[in-house]
Amino acid sequence: MRSRDGSNTLLCRPCALIFFLVLTLFGSEEYLISYRYVIKDAFLYNESFLLSKAMRKCSGTPQKEITIFNEKHLSLKKLLSDTSGEFIFYLHKLGLDVEHRVIQNNMQNSDTTILTLHTTCFKVDFNEDFVILTPLR
Amino acid sequence: MKTSFFFSALLISSLAFATDSVESTEIIDMPETTSSSDSVKNNTLLQEDYNIRLSVIGQGVAPMHTASPAQAFALAKRAAIADGYRLIAEKIKGVRVEGQDTIKNMMVTRSTVRTYVRAMVQNANIVETNFKDGLCEVEMEVTLSYADLAH
Repeated sequence: MRSRDGSNTLLCRPCALIFFLVLTLFGSEEYLISYRYVIKDAFLYNESFLLSKAMRKCSGTPQKEITIFNEKHLSLKKLLSDTSGEFIFYLHKLGLDVEHRVIQNNMQNSDTTILTLHTTCFKVDFNEDFVILTPLR
Repeated sequence: MKTSFFFSALLISSLAFATDSVESTEIIDMPETTSSSDSVKNNTLLQEDYNIRLSVIGQGVAPMHTASPAQAFALAKRAAIADGYRLIAEKIKGVRVEGQDTIKNMMVTRSTVRTYVRAMVQNANIVETNFKDGLCEVEMEVTLSYADLAH
């Protein structure tokens, strides 16, 4: 495709290509992650893990990061799905909001515990065979 | 006899403190069941030079129908961890309790007790996990320092 004046096309194309290539290879991306699970009467009742790419720049102080090996060069969604145990353990360490209710009606108990990681922005650095996730808070 | 026993106990306790110390501050272990009056007597309130280590045991039950024993264990462990977090939150923050009794014709027709706790728990560690007969028990501990709560 030609530019309007017709002369900049060849000059711009390699630069733009290199710029976007560098951004793709070495630049970090930002993702929003939230996690929540519900325990009812000591049974795991519901669990949800939501991941989405941030649509605007995140702000916040970087917290303790996690490094996950990614030798198969998987996408972040697939990678976190494969290593869910390790990542969820890390989310617990990061800190979860705990909400617990017990209702006793006529001597019969029913309790509900909800653990939530509120939507948190993670800076994700994709490297050759590992990924570094740093939460921003 | 009593004096020697006292000194040996003192020596053992001082050794225990020396091995458990974190950044040259002492850690006081809070036992599983401690009434508030005991904790005041034992001087286990959070102070600048001391850390308090809370230990809880969370319990979770595996569902009846699972694809495999591994899945049952994983689900029960998740529930047990949540229970552990709840116990930590209850110990640190306390529990809000509301009760309501309805009495008609001198008889209790309805009795309701609601308890509620909400807190943010960070840096809790899993010390030990046991899974037996569908019940998963997770021992968790968290160390509280004055600096963590001061800001």
